[in-house]
Amino acid sequence: MSAELTAELASLREWVADRAKDLPPQGLTDDLPLLEGRHLTSLHIPELIQFLERISRRPIDVENLRPGDFRDIRTIAERFLEAS
Amino acid sequence: MTALREAIAAMSGTVDRLNELSREKYTNPYEALATWPDSLDATADWFTSPELSTLYGTPYWPEDEARQRELCFHESANFFSLNIHGEKALMQGLATRLYRPDLADIADYLHHFLDEENKHSVYFGTYCRRYARVYRSRHVPFPGGTDRAVEDLLFFAKVLIFEEIADRHNVLQARDDRLHPLARFINEAHHADESRHLVFNRAIVRAFWDTYVPEWTGERLTEIRKYLNQFFTTTWREYYNPDVYADCGYDDPWDVAEAAWQAPAQREHRRQVSAKCLRFFTSTGLLLEEPADVR
Repeated sequence: MSAELTAELASLREWVADRAKDLPPQGLTDDLPLLEGRHLTSLHIPELIQFLERISRRPIDVENLRPGDFRDIRTIAERFLEAS
Repeated sequence: MTALREAIAAMSGTVDRLNELSREKYTNPYEALATWPDSLDATADWFTSPELSTLYGTPYWPEDEARQRELCFHESANFFSLNIHGEKALMQGLATRLYRPDLADIADYLHHFLDEENKHSVYFGTYCRRYARVYRSRHVPFPGGTDRAVEDLLFFAKVLIFEEIADRHNVLQARDDRLHPLARFINEAHHADESRHLVFNRAIVRAFWDTYVPEWTGERLTEIRKYLNQFFTTTWREYYNPDVYADCGYDDPWDVAEAAWQAPAQREHRRQVSAKCLRFFTSTGLLLEEPADVR
């Protein structure tokens, strides 16, 4: 994993941790289902998209998004950070 | 269900008056469109009141007036784009509720509401496509996960928040004689209909709330309040659109958006614009305190 990706992933974890509610006792993990587990709501997605654009420095094609793209931190990172 | 029908029936005086006004004020948007110019000069006129720009009062507000006007022009297209996306979701929600048996008493008004929202979108869409562009929304549609009573309340409460914030912009800009006549016209036309929609929205949100709140647990109420708090943030965030800043030549449009969002002058601006709406939400008990981002 590149240093750049490591930094982006750390930023992503911090962003989610600041907003997620009702985290389990083990805390936030990369495979915790964020929307399905109702830790985030669909209302967080526009802000999350803008945050991902900011840290990856490239726009996201919103027309081709699916709810599954935001399943958990690992999925988000694979979908939006690793290709940059 | 009976309690809801009674609450809706209690709105009948208001709804009858709104129906009458909508029929009196019925308009054909295509008559106005026929008078619109083929092009606009973004740097020669104001299309957004400068004080309503998302960069006003921040270090990113340009020094040069032509660049200020250009930014305000793109922000007008963003404001109208937000309304296009908001009204699309609104029209879907209204159409879903048309002729639902428990809402049958407001079916006539839902027709007016839908008709008027569609006409607004004709104005917004024509402006954006003829002179600028339709800025994308970052909202992703998700299937609803709550029960119908909660969905009804949240739908109309979200419409109310979105429209109250937009309407405040409309009111201020409709009377701003620095603005190009077309920008003033669109803001004025939108406000003329929205003032009726807001009366309806406040009445129906109160009807849903008063009907259902006695049945809901404290946990559910907390969830609803958190959701509405977040909706305030989400709604306001979209005004700070990096795509607008990119169109105006800013090198780091996402950083500009974040810095503008955090700027004290902008926080105060959001608080002032949201004040009337927040008074309704706190006075009814829908919110117990003002959302942190507009406090």
